[in-house]
Amino acid sequence: MVNALYIIVAALTAAFLLGMLKEERRATAYAITLATLAFMTWISVSWVWAFAQEGAAPVEIFTAGAVPPFAINLRMALPEAALTLMVNLSGLLAAIYMKDSLFRLGRSAMAVFLVAVMAYCGIIMTRDIFNLFVFFELVAISTAGLVLLSEDERALSAGFKYLIVSQVISIFLLLGIVFAYHATGTLNIDGMANASLGLLAGGTISFFMMFIALVAELKPFPANGWALDIYESAHPSYSALFSAAAGTASLYAVDKLLLIGGAEWLPMATGIGIVTFIASSLLALPQTNDRRQLGYSSIAQMGLVLVVLGQRDILGDSTPYIAFGLLVSHAVAKAGLYWISGLVAGRELTDWAALRGHPLLIFAFVSFIGMLSGLPPFPSFYAKWELVRFLAGEGRIALLALILFGALVEAGYLFRWFGYIMKRAAPAEPISCTPHQVTAVVAAVAAGWALGYLWGDLSGRSNLLLVLPLLFALSFLLLDWLPAWVKNTLAIAGMLAFFAFTFAEYDPLRLIFAVIILVGGAIILLASYDAHGRRVGFYPAAMLMYAGLAMLIRATASFDFFAAWEILTVGSYFLILRGKQSEPHALSYIIFSLGGAFLILTGFALAAQGAPQFDIASLSHLTAPLAPWVFILLAVGFMTKTAAIGLHIWLPGAHGEAETDVSPMVSGILLKAGLYGLFVLLMTMGKQQLYGVELTHVMLWIAALSALLGNLMAIFEEDAKRLLAYSSIGQMGYALFGLALMNHLGWLMALMFVINHYIYKSMLFLAAGGVAKRTGTRDMYKMGGLITLMPFSFIAVLIGIIAVSGVPPLSGFGGRWIFYNAILSTDYRLPLIITFFAGPIAFLYLFRLIHTIFLGQLKDEHRKIKEAPFWIVLPQMIYVALLMVVAIFPGIVLRRVDTYLNQFFPEGGLNWEGLEISSNYGYWNPVAIMIVVCVIFGTLFAWLLFVNRKAQKVKQFNIGFSAERPYRPETTHFAWNFFAPYRKALGFLVQPFVTRFWGALTDFLHTGADLSRRLYNGNGQTYAFHFIAFVIIVFFVRMGV
Amino acid sequence: MAYIAMATGFILILIGLFGALTNRNILRMIVAFTVADTGVNMVIVAIGYMHGRTAPILDVAVSAAEAAARIIDPVPQALVLTAIVIGVGVTALMLAYTYKLYEKKRTLDIAQFTELKW
Repeated sequence: MVNALYIIVAALTAAFLLGMLKEERRATAYAITLATLAFMTWISVSWVWAFAQEGAAPVEIFTAGAVPPFAINLRMALPEAALTLMVNLSGLLAAIYMKDSLFRLGRSAMAVFLVAVMAYCGIIMTRDIFNLFVFFELVAISTAGLVLLSEDERALSAGFKYLIVSQVISIFLLLGIVFAYHATGTLNIDGMANASLGLLAGGTISFFMMFIALVAELKPFPANGWALDIYESAHPSYSALFSAAAGTASLYAVDKLLLIGGAEWLPMATGIGIVTFIASSLLALPQTNDRRQLGYSSIAQMGLVLVVLGQRDILGDSTPYIAFGLLVSHAVAKAGLYWISGLVAGRELTDWAALRGHPLLIFAFVSFIGMLSGLPPFPSFYAKWELVRFLAGEGRIALLALILFGALVEAGYLFRWFGYIMKRAAPAEPISCTPHQVTAVVAAVAAGWALGYLWGDLSGRSNLLLVLPLLFALSFLLLDWLPAWVKNTLAIAGMLAFFAFTFAEYDPLRLIFAVIILVGGAIILLASYDAHGRRVGFYPAAMLMYAGLAMLIRATASFDFFAAWEILTVGSYFLILRGKQSEPHALSYIIFSLGGAFLILTGFALAAQGAPQFDIASLSHLTAPLAPWVFILLAVGFMTKTAAIGLHIWLPGAHGEAETDVSPMVSGILLKAGLYGLFVLLMTMGKQQLYGVELTHVMLWIAALSALLGNLMAIFEEDAKRLLAYSSIGQMGYALFGLALMNHLGWLMALMFVINHYIYKSMLFLAAGGVAKRTGTRDMYKMGGLITLMPFSFIAVLIGIIAVSGVPPLSGFGGRWIFYNAILSTDYRLPLIITFFAGPIAFLYLFRLIHTIFLGQLKDEHRKIKEAPFWIVLPQMIYVALLMVVAIFPGIVLRRVDTYLNQFFPEGGLNWEGLEISSNYGYWNPVAIMIVVCVIFGTLFAWLLFVNRKAQKVKQFNIGFSAERPYRPETTHFAWNFFAPYRKALGFLVQPFVTRFWGALTDFLHTGADLSRRLYNGNGQTYAFHFIAFVIIVFFVRMGV
Repeated sequence: MAYIAMATGFILILIGLFGALTNRNILRMIVAFTVADTGVNMVIVAIGYMHGRTAPILDVAVSAAEAAARIIDPVPQALVLTAIVIGVGVTALMLAYTYKLYEKKRTLDIAQFTELKW
């Protein structure tokens, strides 16, 4: 094994060697630089290997032939090896990336670069506090030098501001060190720790000065203006190093220092960390400059890791796993993002739209924001799970809430950025990149995924990168060059095969969901055959969603369940974002979904009570006072997915603006994930009471209001797909209502809605999408008379609305019938009446749907349109057939579930005798109903034909017409504002209160952040003053405590 | 004696910090920082001083055998040397920066270099 000291020796030797080279021998100088960095990286790799694989013992490196405290010593153990590896590797890649800049500036720049990397390694390895100071000063000097690598002239003032602040910092550090030495008689960090510095005279104050100085290197809020300026103006590859390596080194320095300070300083670290995390995440919100935003994000992440270090008292041996998980995710992602920023010409966030058309870079970007947001399968996801578990287990709920809030804000602006990339106009200047720049980015992506695998491996739970559905979904990334129809076939085959292999493993309830997700998903995918070309990005996203769904219903452990939940959320987000106008809607979807996911995470963590994970089924063992809180968290989390009223504002846009074949996926299938979650929750936890309030009763109210308001909002909608989307809110309200009734028939009804809603909403969305594809609009008043031109779509909509409205003979009636029976057996009168009234309202929008689109007068511009494409019509016809089958033989699915539900509610099931189904209140014979309705319909239809045989046909324009030209022609159309009288009467109910509430909240955050960030006025002196203020505040907080 | 040196050191540090935070002229700020650095160095030396002892130099006057009892603590002095060297380096770098900054805007007012903010 090579002595780790050679990391430092090699860098110093090479730096001096470079000084002796002739200025013009740039290639040689560059080769020396790269070789040295590679050598340093190799040393780190070999040590990591030795510690991790061969179980080598930590090594103390003594210098000057003496042992501490008489000489400096350094240490090489697993943390040091891993951290120096991070530093050296990011140094190597950064040097590769900025080849051109280094060539331009020559050997002196390369020497400074080597010294910087060496100094970071020194900070990590040294065990001597004064040596630490020296390395920090080396970092300061080299940083000030490397900032000037930038072509941005403003970097000059940024570097100077940094020097000012670092002067103040070093004064504090030196004073602290010398007083600590005076108190303990040693400069050795471990020696100081053993001497219990805090107990000695002047010990606390000297530690305070050292602590504050080292923490300042982590750029704590508000003493971090200088760092932001560097991030904004420095060479992106240096910013990458500054973010990844400098932050890493400083964090480890603080970690070592906390050894000396002991447990009493941990709350301080936590406090500084969390304030920095929240403040930086918020201040990043109004940013428009890409590098500055990344700077805010870097600072926030440092704060978060500092929180982890500060929580060491409860995290114990898991601290490294969590801290490293967050740290490597941050380092890899931030380095990668800075490297990408060097390829983008403009500095506005929206300029990143230039990335579009570069699938590799898009994938890189997505991977990086996934790492920063703590999404599976990256290390930060596992770290997040562990951190939350400990915090919840120890009851540190306030801290947990703050962390999750900050994480949500951060995810919000990162995904907003991704929306810009995918949807904003591409800037004039395209991406410019050289092979070595791409090398660095690709290496970062590869490292991120490899680390994801490693963290999964170390987690002691399932390694997500070994789960079959996820692997299947990810494999589509590699297959994205294939034509769409090949991928579509593969996707369908994969889903059906997975279903066939796992078929036997599901209980009846899960089987229904499995059929809907895997078989139903395959049916919807038939419509995707209509797409031409390669359809880049569609299949990875869609398969990710289906993989998440499949994993969700198969999950038994809480961790698997939550991982699946996040995977399906992310997949569906990418899918929704594909719609033309869906940028804002996809963003609100992901924010609500992640917010919901965080609630679920917290709920699980509370329920686990500190255990690494638990069996979902054991939720039933929870008791008060914990149980109702867990129930609320989980229920609200799941209800964000079912778009219960109050949490629904993302749905209309997300479902309405999605692509033709995506709308049925996210509506027909994805919404069921929320219902599944609620099923599982109610099955295990049942009724819960909080302060005497029956929580399922509250749910009943939410459900009733969702049903009523969802339907009401639908009737005032001009856009056909949005109408269907609002209708989903109402339909999910019904299903939720059934669940919350907490009786046998209620649950059966909810399941009936799960099945029915999948069939008819998928069908209607496909029909509406097909019509919109042909007519070029989704506004219903711009259509009309399409019945003859698009007969199949008409049939689908007709059947669909009969089914939705719940009139005989189709399956919707079955749902209604069970619903009426279910409510007869409960005592909740008022919500029951509300839900009851929601039914007729559905008639209004359903009538409008068919009437406005297919009946009435044909528009001039639509005279030549054809039926919707075959592949869009085909699944609709399958659904028509399915609806008929389910209508006539509801027993084939319901009967098994009815029996299954007996274990939860033995009472109140249905009796199945032959074709007749009976309950305590009446009976239902689907076949008889079908026959009766068909006979009546047939008779009336025949009679109509008979009396109409002599009718005279009138052409469309056979009318007299004279009037002024209307200012807005659509206002004279009968179908525009179709239900105006109802709006007059009930419009107050559908005022966008909820939208306004959430809008006001985000505006408040934005405006607040925009005002607060003016704190950073750009003056170096003010920044120094910020630091002094920070010192004083921390001092008084500490002394006050 | 040591207390006077230490007090002077702290006073210098405060003067230096005050000067650096109140003078908008970059050169004056740098001078103020060197004053503060000197103060820090004085404090370090003062801490290492022990009453009635001699300089930590082993020669005829002090032999290695009796050094432990007769010399003052040499470590702070070593630290001061290092700190001085580093201070010189940083000061030089700041001056170089000042030159560049002045070249760019023809002013030494720190408040004029605020194009990076928020």
